[in-house]
Amino acid sequence: MIVPMSHILAFSAALFVMGLACVLAQRNLIMILIGVEIMLNAVGLTLVGASALWQKVDGQIFVIFLMAMTSAEVSISLAMVVYLRRRKGTLEADAFDGMKG
Amino acid sequence: MTWNDLVALFPILILALGSAALLMLGAWWPRGRELMGLGSLVAGLSVLAAIALTPPVTEISGLFGAGPYARFFTALWALVAALTLLLSRRYGAERRFSGGEYTALVLFAAAGMALLSGATSLVGLFLGLEAFTLVLYILIAFHREDDAGAEAGLKYLVMGAVATGFLAFGIALIFTSTGTFHLPEALSGLDPASGMRPVALLGWAMLLLALGFKVSLVPFHLWTPDVYQGAPAPVAGLLATGSKGAVFAALLGLTAGLEVGWDDLVPLLWLLCVLSMLVGTFCALRQDNLKRMLAYSSIVHMGYALMALLAAGPTGRTALVFYLAAYTAMTLGAFGVLTSFSRASGEAQWLGDLRGLGYRHPLRGAALTIFLFSLAGVPPSAGFIGKFAIFIAALDAGFIALAVLGVLASLVSVYYYLRVVVVLFMSAADDVPLHGGSRGEGAAIALCALATLGLGILPAPLLDLIAQLIP
Repeated sequence: MIVPMSHILAFSAALFVMGLACVLAQRNLIMILIGVEIMLNAVGLTLVGASALWQKVDGQIFVIFLMAMTSAEVSISLAMVVYLRRRKGTLEADAFDGMKG
Repeated sequence: MTWNDLVALFPILILALGSAALLMLGAWWPRGRELMGLGSLVAGLSVLAAIALTPPVTEISGLFGAGPYARFFTALWALVAALTLLLSRRYGAERRFSGGEYTALVLFAAAGMALLSGATSLVGLFLGLEAFTLVLYILIAFHREDDAGAEAGLKYLVMGAVATGFLAFGIALIFTSTGTFHLPEALSGLDPASGMRPVALLGWAMLLLALGFKVSLVPFHLWTPDVYQGAPAPVAGLLATGSKGAVFAALLGLTAGLEVGWDDLVPLLWLLCVLSMLVGTFCALRQDNLKRMLAYSSIVHMGYALMALLAAGPTGRTALVFYLAAYTAMTLGAFGVLTSFSRASGEAQWLGDLRGLGYRHPLRGAALTIFLFSLAGVPPSAGFIGKFAIFIAALDAGFIALAVLGVLASLVSVYYYLRVVVVLFMSAADDVPLHGGSRGEGAAIALCALATLGLGILPAPLLDLIAQLIP
């Protein structure tokens, strides 16, 4: 491998943490979903790197599964976004706090 | 994938293809109740296929097992889907659920749960888990006129998406450490001799975090009460039984192959178990909403299940699988009674709504009493035998503190379950009768009550069966 695995791991870990920070810090639903996408892309990067490290195609196949799964998840979340926006007129996550206890 | 693989996958194919067929049918023939009835039939067929057919291979494409263990859970989750659909017929018709989509989603969720329970590869685990998680995102917010449902759906979606990220990253790290997804080889990265041990440990921590979220162990439990309260009652039943049970079934498969590295995980799991039992019990004490109370009590029950997982060995694993079956019967029954009391205007989920129901609807009042007593662990019920087996297994394995804490937690739990039973048999404040319940609902509740009592009085056949099929 031209790029050492440790560099790939460090980079994807940074990407993952950035995505997680985006989820935690942002209050807008769209931004939260973007954060999740960044986290999942970090996963894809790790898998491709590990697949090159072990000279096995398994990791790359899993990346394709992951892409398919992510697109399904995005379509469901965006449908939810449209639905929530219609119900409450806002996409701020803090507006949805009706249940407590 | 060979012909034999497809034959081995047949019960799950019935669920998945039946789901697709009913979705298509619903587009031309939009009859909610009939479609849900058909869905129950499809799920029932899948149960029969899982029990009657012998799979020609024991593993499908290196992804999913097809052995007796996987078949047992396939039958169980298909049965749960059939009962959920039976319970949803009136509930869905009153809320104008579109039958095709609802039925298809429930069947697909059962397929995902069956795949997850039998996963023999981390890829299989991920695909199975996502298959039913994505379905549950939709089902929780299925009632379009309900604000609580929308809020619950949002909370589950955001938290679930983050948990998916953690799960996928954990799997990627475990793959990095060993170069394979197949279990149990993928777990060898935890070996101290392996150069990638830190990566493997981090991967395991992330995997446990994500699975802990799905089964709502403390401190990953925060979504549970809100989602239970907001979700439609039959969906909450499916969520409480199938999705949690399937994750535990997969965890059992994961840890059964773990030879080196188990000692590293024990302290972490021990802590999760203690926290779940303590926090769940204290929060359940002060709930006036039956669904929220069941949510917190489910956290305690997942603590018990984790104790059985920790006890390991054949006794611990047998106790875990038996407890999952018992917990499924009694929880599904409790949510079934809640569903059958619901009217078009809303569900009877507050304690005040249940006043005097024991006199006005004696059969369902008695059934709810049976389920709650079984959840509390009062003999003779399935819950009692399950807890007894778990505590014995924990004592045998040397987890004395856990067993003592478990006994104390179930003693305290009698208080919050009994509170509901007392309200049920108090004189009613006003004479507003709840819904009389339909025949399908009655049948589903009766089946759950029969299973709860039957497993409590005659647990030996199921225990023997489980002892043969655990990995």
